Amino acid sequence: MVSKESCRNEIRAAIRQLSDRCLYSAAKWAGEQLVGIEQDSSNFTPSNTRFQRGSSSIRRRFSTNESISTPQPSVGFSQPPATPLPQEDEVIDGDLYLLAKSYFDCREYRRASHVLRDQMSKKSVFLRCYALYLAGEKRKEEEMVELEGPLGKSDAINRELVSLERELSALKRTGAIDSFGLYLYGVVLKEKGNASLARASLVESVNSYPWNWSAWSELQSLCTSIEILNSLNLNNHWMKEFFLGSAYQELRMHSESLAKYEYLQDIFSFSNYIQAQTAKAQYSLREFDQVEIMFEDLLRNDPYRVEDMDLYSNVLYAKEACAALSYLAHKVFLTDKYRPESCCIVGNYYSLKGQHEKAVMYFRRALKLNKKYLSAWTLMGHEYVEMKNTSAAIDAYRRAVDVNPCDYRAWYGLGQAYEMMGMPFYALHYFRKSIFFLPNDSRLWIAMAKCYQSEQLHMLEEAIKCYKRAVNCGDTEGIALNQLAKLHQKLGRNEEAAFYFEKDLERMDAEGLEGPNMFEALVFLATHLKTNKKFDEAEVYCTRLLDYSGPEKEKAKSLLRGIRMAQTGFPSMDMEHFPL
Amino acid sequence: MAGLTRTAGAFAVTPHKISVCILLQLYAPSAQMSLPFPFSSISQHNRLGLYLLSLTKSCDDIFEPKLEDLINQLREVGEDMDAWLTDHLTNRFSSLTSPDDLLNFFNDMRGILGSLDSGAAQDDQIILDPNSNLGMFVRRCILAFNLLSFEGVCHLFTSIEVYCREAHSSSAQYDESNDNLESLIQHDQMDMEKYIMDKATEEVELQKNASGRVPFHLHTPEALFKVTEGLLVTRKEKSRTNTKKAEATQLACASSSTVDDTLVDESLFLRTNYQIQGFLMEQADAIETHGSSLSSSSIESFLQKLQNLAPELHRVHFLRYLNKLHSDDYFAALENLLRYFDYSAGTEGFDLVLPSTGCSMYGRYEIALLCLGMMHFRFGHPNLALEVLTEAVRVSQQHSNDTCLAYTLAAMSNLLSEMGIASTTSVLGSSYSPVTSTASLLSVQQRVYILLKESLRRADTLKLRRLVASNHLAMAKFELMHVQRPLLSFGPKASVRHKTCPVSVCKEIRLGAHLLSDFSAESSTMTIDGSLSSVWLKDLQKPWGQPVFSQESGSRKSSTFFQFCDHLVSIPGSVSQIIGASYLLRATSWELYGSAPMARMNTLVYATLFGDSSSSSDAELAYLKLIQHLALYKGYKDAFAAVKIAEEKFLTVSKSKILLLKLQLLHEHALHRGNLKLAQRMCNELGGLASTTIGVDMELKVEASLREARTLLAAKQYSQAANVAHSLFCTCHKFNLQIEKASVLLLLAEIHKKSGNAVLGLPYALASISFCQSFNLDLLKASATLTLAELWLGLGSNHAKRALDLLHGAFPMILGHGGLELRARAYIFEANCYLSDPSFSVSTDSDTVLDSLRQASEELQALEYHELAAEAFYLMAMVYDKVGQLEEREEAATLFKMHITALENPQDEEPNMA
Repeated sequence: MVSKESCRNEIRAAIRQLSDRCLYSAAKWAGEQLVGIEQDSSNFTPSNTRFQRGSSSIRRRFSTNESISTPQPSVGFSQPPATPLPQEDEVIDGDLYLLAKSYFDCREYRRASHVLRDQMSKKSVFLRCYALYLAGEKRKEEEMVELEGPLGKSDAINRELVSLERELSALKRTGAIDSFGLYLYGVVLKEKGNASLARASLVESVNSYPWNWSAWSELQSLCTSIEILNSLNLNNHWMKEFFLGSAYQELRMHSESLAKYEYLQDIFSFSNYIQAQTAKAQYSLREFDQVEIMFEDLLRNDPYRVEDMDLYSNVLYAKEACAALSYLAHKVFLTDKYRPESCCIVGNYYSLKGQHEKAVMYFRRALKLNKKYLSAWTLMGHEYVEMKNTSAAIDAYRRAVDVNPCDYRAWYGLGQAYEMMGMPFYALHYFRKSIFFLPNDSRLWIAMAKCYQSEQLHMLEEAIKCYKRAVNCGDTEGIALNQLAKLHQKLGRNEEAAFYFEKDLERMDAEGLEGPNMFEALVFLATHLKTNKKFDEAEVYCTRLLDYSGPEKEKAKSLLRGIRMAQTGFPSMDMEHFPL
Repeated sequence: MAGLTRTAGAFAVTPHKISVCILLQLYAPSAQMSLPFPFSSISQHNRLGLYLLSLTKSCDDIFEPKLEDLINQLREVGEDMDAWLTDHLTNRFSSLTSPDDLLNFFNDMRGILGSLDSGAAQDDQIILDPNSNLGMFVRRCILAFNLLSFEGVCHLFTSIEVYCREAHSSSAQYDESNDNLESLIQHDQMDMEKYIMDKATEEVELQKNASGRVPFHLHTPEALFKVTEGLLVTRKEKSRTNTKKAEATQLACASSSTVDDTLVDESLFLRTNYQIQGFLMEQADAIETHGSSLSSSSIESFLQKLQNLAPELHRVHFLRYLNKLHSDDYFAALENLLRYFDYSAGTEGFDLVLPSTGCSMYGRYEIALLCLGMMHFRFGHPNLALEVLTEAVRVSQQHSNDTCLAYTLAAMSNLLSEMGIASTTSVLGSSYSPVTSTASLLSVQQRVYILLKESLRRADTLKLRRLVASNHLAMAKFELMHVQRPLLSFGPKASVRHKTCPVSVCKEIRLGAHLLSDFSAESSTMTIDGSLSSVWLKDLQKPWGQPVFSQESGSRKSSTFFQFCDHLVSIPGSVSQIIGASYLLRATSWELYGSAPMARMNTLVYATLFGDSSSSSDAELAYLKLIQHLALYKGYKDAFAAVKIAEEKFLTVSKSKILLLKLQLLHEHALHRGNLKLAQRMCNELGGLASTTIGVDMELKVEASLREARTLLAAKQYSQAANVAHSLFCTCHKFNLQIEKASVLLLLAEIHKKSGNAVLGLPYALASISFCQSFNLDLLKASATLTLAELWLGLGSNHAKRALDLLHGAFPMILGHGGLELRARAYIFEANCYLSDPSFSVSTDSDTVLDSLRQASEELQALEYHELAAEAFYLMAMVYDKVGQLEEREEAATLFKMHITALENPQDEEPNMA
């Protein structure tokens, strides 16, 4: 059992240790989780209650399992705390360390590392290496701009990597390395492209010191498949649950990920991080309403948050909430306008307003800030499609795909763009790719079916197969059933056509829809049943048609007349049933 | 090369250019004197000038020589003052200790340029004309330097440091290398080791202070240690590796070894777009020429590096596609092809894109379709390929890209003609194409014809010379293989003259070869500066036969000679490839029409002139043809020796046909020697090769069963042989293999002849002759006539006269072009005819018979054809007996006995080839 209190203590110590080593983003993350732990009622402070009450009421409205109000017996974690908090190897930092740390805080990395050049304690060695690494990174970024040629960036590399790798591997061999050093070693190895060694080093690091979220995230970025993830030999610790949650999400196992977060919410019930991650997973499951509420809630607690807000803007975009989107964009822009997320939100806003050139400009800015910003590439592709600049769209989508080959939206966009250019056969490959990554989405199947159906290809059998898949995936827009019926009708398979028209009719009835599709289905069914001499059923459909005005009504009348004729005419041959 | 733009600032200052500037300063010092200090004569001065001119011309090349190479070249140019030149160069470099020195250096450079109004210059002063080549170069350097930001200057400074350090470590070895060869080798061996050690320690240092671009150096030690391993084996071997290295480092030649070790260091410098595109084009040619013998992983690694250096250079993806295509990796090839076109929209680096036509909006995706179609075809998905090509036709019509349309149609006809053999069913079932729709009622052959005509017409109007040429060749192939038939007119009134027309084949081939003369008109738009400028430098060095390179073995000389010629007329590889193909086609057509000497001559022309530029599969084909010729006309011994040579050369090529050839030869050999078991085994192996997991090769399958029938025939199992031949004939008919039909018919006639059923054989022989006539297969016809004559004789000796007449009609063809076996058979048959002719008396006219028999026996012995040889000797012995020359009779009889015993126990001399 891990109690909330012990969690809290662990995190408190960890924050101190992390920020002591200048691992600020890990410290930040830990801090967020610390206040995310539900306070014991015993030591409430007035400020705490105010902070937490504001959110919990709303949260309670939507949280599916009311774990907060109904405490379950198994709250907490069944595993014992496998890792005790490490003791600091020097209780009081040396003077040089203090100086180096202040240099580091002022971003004078080389100076910091120089100060620590002869220090042999593990902590000093780590800080020196880390500062050196960051100095190299900084220089690399600068060089990338300086050396940029007509063909893109030049061979800018972090020049410290080689020496760092040599030093750290030597340290590791002698065993004079702590978990932070292992983390840095993992990062260096990853940069050098040695993924498996990097994974091993990071695993070792998190096993000995699990509170360093940066190490977990590096590890997560190296887990590109579920097989790799399962092969990791990780000690049980509550931090592992966080890691698994985020790893599952990246591997598009959204329900597993949601389960993890729900589990974690027992302790970290007020964690913004968990809420944002849950929202992300829900977004992937297309639960937009729920996601919107979660984000509203999140913003109320943490009004100056920029992280993950691009996702929120996507939701608002999908719901076409112009005003809310503009409000969000304005707020985020005031907070920090040079964040890729902010630019992306503004881009979304302009896109919703139909000002595609401006949208592209903001997406471009986002990409300038982060060249590997996946969703900006994809969204920019969408904008170019809107602007009918297909080759630019294709380029943008392709870049998205090269950043992350699992991005089904970009594959889909590529297919769409090629289809627009009248190359349906070429487009099929891309649709196939997209479906490979998201086989349960009816929209993708319908897009592919339309490709097959196009007049250039005219491969109707294949189209039918795709529509069938779409129906099996729960086609929400109801295109597939109608198309299936029509295709069968075209191919002269009236029985199948009738079957699908009937199904389509059922669907429309259930959803309370009306329209030309309805008339079509009714007319077909009535005629079909009539020719098959099932007059009673045909009559039912005809009478339904009579409820509507227009040519269909006339058609229904004539059909009914025909049915009467047949009904009266046919038995006239039969003497027994002759009424007179 | 159209479609890529020369961007501003494409001329970057590199350490090599600074070297050239330093030398230029020496060449034209600003001081006033008629002959500057170190030069002893005007000619020496001029020589340096020429050398500098070539250096400036080649500065657009992708590879820049290292300082070490430059010093080597200087040594040859400078003769007695080389030490002074190199010293000055290195001193000048070592005096550049801070970025400020660079600034001053370029300020000084200004001084050697004359002012634009040249009137002010004095007579005895050497001043560079600012508009001359050298002057322009200096001005460009100065301008490029002035454009550099301070960061840029710093980067230049660090790369100069690396440039000098590399040279410094290896400069020692060349100091004493102008002595005799023996000492040179010893010194070199020592120095090479030292050099490598230096290099290795250098690496460590570099890594330690971590100021160099270390990752690129990490690869060098391995490569160099490999060199040392080679050095330590033997002296002889060592000199070879040394030459190799000298060659490799000498300059850019697009061999894989250069890719390996030169690019590693060269990536230090930023290259211009233009240079890289030129370089990539060379690489693409290399991939095609060497096929899969070029290691795909080495290309892959260098492409990876290039991509890291220049992520916006999309052509890398295309090269990767080519590479994967040649190493048969379907998925990677597809992936890279799509990626390339997604990024570049088909506008980067394709020479069929005209820059004038605006293509920014739609891109050139039809080219993507064309490439995709060809890729599917290559990987054996003809139906998929056809769908894609149909779409390509549609899209290029939609975007009115006639060029692409012409190419697509050509590709389509090629596809159909290849596929037409395998399937006669309509492949255009589901898709609809405006071009092919009119032809949907026609046979595949007719569709091919229409497509070819259409493509040819478009290519002609668009002046796509290469396409025109290859279309003509395709047309020639078509004419060769298919009976001319009036298109679209069937029924009783249509003419029934079924014949191929050799004249039109010849015409088409000639038209195809016109490309060479046409090319001069087009060449102006097609020059690839990247490769040509480097040739300049190479040519310049040639006249001064340097001692360093004189060790080059003689075998390479021939190829370098052609390379030299090649560059002189500057024919790009693709053109010479097409012309080469025309020669190969000529050879094939002569082979079919039955002129052995002409076929051989054309193949030889191909192998000597185009062997270097051709793709490996074409070169292999030429070798195959030559070896087959050897086997037919010179016997098996020579042929097997040649096979050995060819095997070494081509076994690495994927889908190598060498194995096939070997099996064929072994089979023939076994048949002739009467080793039927071996023959049967070879036959089965051939059958196995015909239907592999990849797919069924129809032609090979037909050949395998043809050979099976022959083996059965040799085993005297006539009914089985006839069965096999019959079913084979049905297959040929089904798949429209006309030429094979003729030979199957001939085989059937042969079977009936051997089984003693001459009457049954006659119709087959006649049918075969008529087939041969309609396809102009003269040699086959001659051999069919021979069989016919034999059949007549088989009907009784009263037909001997008729048989002899027939034979004499075919004799010119047989003797002029026939192989050993056919000639021998004809001779023996002639003798047989005479002997069975009742009006012929042996005693009076024995020489006629004996002459032919002697001829026959000689040829058969070369072939080791025991059965026929025995027959010849038997007849000989009989004739001698009749004439009464007993001694000769005994001799012939012993030879007869020898061949009979050899035939009866074939295992005695099991060929070592098997």
